[in-house]
Amino acid sequence: MYRYDEFDQKLVDERVAQFRGQVARRLSGELTEEEFKPLRLMNGLYLQLHAYMLRVAIPYGTLSSRQLKMLAHIARKYDKGYAHFTTRQNLQYNWPKLGDVPDILADLASVEMHAIQTSGNCIRNVTSDHFAGAAADEVDDPRVWSEIIRQWSTFHPEFSYLPRKFKIAVTAAPKDRAAIKVHDIGIVIRRDASAKLAFDVYVGGGQGRTPLVGHLIGEGIEAGDLLAYLEATMRVYNQYGRRDNLYKARIKILVHQIGANEMRCQVAAEFAEIKQHGALTLPQAEIDRINAYFLDPAFEKLPDEDLTAQRKNKAFAAWVETNVAKHKVPGYAIVTISLKPIGGIPGDASADQMDLVASLAERLSFDEIRVSHEQNLVLAHVRQRDLFELWQTLDKAGLGTANHALITDIIACPGLDYCDLANARSINIAQALSKRFADLDRQRNIGELKLKISGCINACGHHHVGHIGILGVDKKGVEYYQITLGGSGAEDASVGEILGPAFGEADVPDAIEKLVDTYLAARQPGERFLDTYRRVGIQPFREKLYAAH
Amino acid sequence: MAQVLTANRLSDGEVVYLAADGAWVESFDAAKILATPADGEAALAVGQEAERNQQLVHAYLFDITPAKKPVKMREIIRAAGPTVRRDLGKQAAF
Repeated sequence: MYRYDEFDQKLVDERVAQFRGQVARRLSGELTEEEFKPLRLMNGLYLQLHAYMLRVAIPYGTLSSRQLKMLAHIARKYDKGYAHFTTRQNLQYNWPKLGDVPDILADLASVEMHAIQTSGNCIRNVTSDHFAGAAADEVDDPRVWSEIIRQWSTFHPEFSYLPRKFKIAVTAAPKDRAAIKVHDIGIVIRRDASAKLAFDVYVGGGQGRTPLVGHLIGEGIEAGDLLAYLEATMRVYNQYGRRDNLYKARIKILVHQIGANEMRCQVAAEFAEIKQHGALTLPQAEIDRINAYFLDPAFEKLPDEDLTAQRKNKAFAAWVETNVAKHKVPGYAIVTISLKPIGGIPGDASADQMDLVASLAERLSFDEIRVSHEQNLVLAHVRQRDLFELWQTLDKAGLGTANHALITDIIACPGLDYCDLANARSINIAQALSKRFADLDRQRNIGELKLKISGCINACGHHHVGHIGILGVDKKGVEYYQITLGGSGAEDASVGEILGPAFGEADVPDAIEKLVDTYLAARQPGERFLDTYRRVGIQPFREKLYAAH
Repeated sequence: MAQVLTANRLSDGEVVYLAADGAWVESFDAAKILATPADGEAALAVGQEAERNQQLVHAYLFDITPAKKPVKMREIIRAAGPTVRRDLGKQAAF
């Protein structure tokens, strides 16, 4: 994985020192809150309902064991013994004290981490496929390109005061595990006819109050031109993106208003201008330098294991079926560690659990952990012969839930239990649904079903792209929940359709159960919930759910 | 409708309330009930002064019921802690 060079380290260390001074000046009264707020946000520090919240960047979701142990240490020393993995491959501490934050940032810097660009109107933490470097279906390691984009975008003066925040996601596999089409820019890396890397650039996707699927604006961009093309896109946005209305300032609104064709022309013109000067061509030597950080670890030559004997253990067999994915190298596997125990809080992990996963990664997965935007952890390179031992250890620590991509693998934002922006709680709904569908055989019978919950229209819980999405709203001081169907954040991206009037908190589990039963009654062999929905449409679900009303 | 004045403490973000004696207290139960709009305005001025003195961030008034409970779920949660972690926030000490 990538290691800081002297410039990276200096830059991050200097930022810590700057913020230490800014905090001291805020506490002494030299800075007002109005002056301090943009400074703290530039360092990932928010003020939420109960306390400050520090959001730490995990670039493209990759962590070393040392880094995860530091995150656990910080949770223990400065917070309340846990942390929350978010839907953007970040981590949040919910209770830090202002005076401690410079020390926390210094601890993070000591393991090559920071909280820069996790807030504000800048290019945010670049996200990627959490199976990168291990997936059998990828054409290249998307982390190489994510890192190149990270270096280009970090503190880029031209893009530090954008009209709004800007999110970039990268994948290099036909199966989109990074939700690239609902990002401001989503990049799909593929091989062209001559087997050269080619970059398809989708622009103008996003969720929030105006959910839109991104348009293919740049097709087959060459590797050396990637940054030039991205810069051209950013310049068009910077020039034409609205700054007069917060709700219309994202690039998706610009693309929607001028149309994909016009956006394509504008970017092409800017791209030609940049190319003419040649300043942004990526040198092959630089690509090679970054690539060297992401070379395969020293995989052993192993046969694929016969796990028949261990699979006699029903719980292990179920876990293998749902949480273990095919690795590109024989004898290895990709393991998803569910942070969704039945009735638990999606994405939360205790310091002890983080330490345990770090130690397991050190011993069994080449010292590497991934964080998924679905709020789970991943050990990307596990020998198949170690799976049984790994599962036993995880299970004892409450990390062995066999529910990846099933109905209880719920994405949920922190909602009104923590978040200053939320209108309604979301975790409580996730917990209730998790308990309602706890039976594993039932979950497996239902099959893949992406259930996502947001506590407000900002959609941090990705409800727009849930096969079933739930949005919490406030109606005269009472929490209600609006259901959408048919969303997808995958390669077949779509925005969910609103089903009908919202439900009260207590009625949500019954409502979801009726939807699931409707699907089970209508599905044809091999269909997922989403497939059935797309075949039969929303009406049967609507009729079933609102029949009594 | 009666109101209570709240804010977050600058140093640690803790939720605090203006008490009858002018102190900033962590417990909602110890908050001063502001019965009239004039009481609310006077309290808000105290809060704004505390903001200028680096004690607080974002002082504001919120409505309470006749039973002296917050009207909105947001303030119920701020007064107690996350409903999904009863071991955290003010409620942990209850």
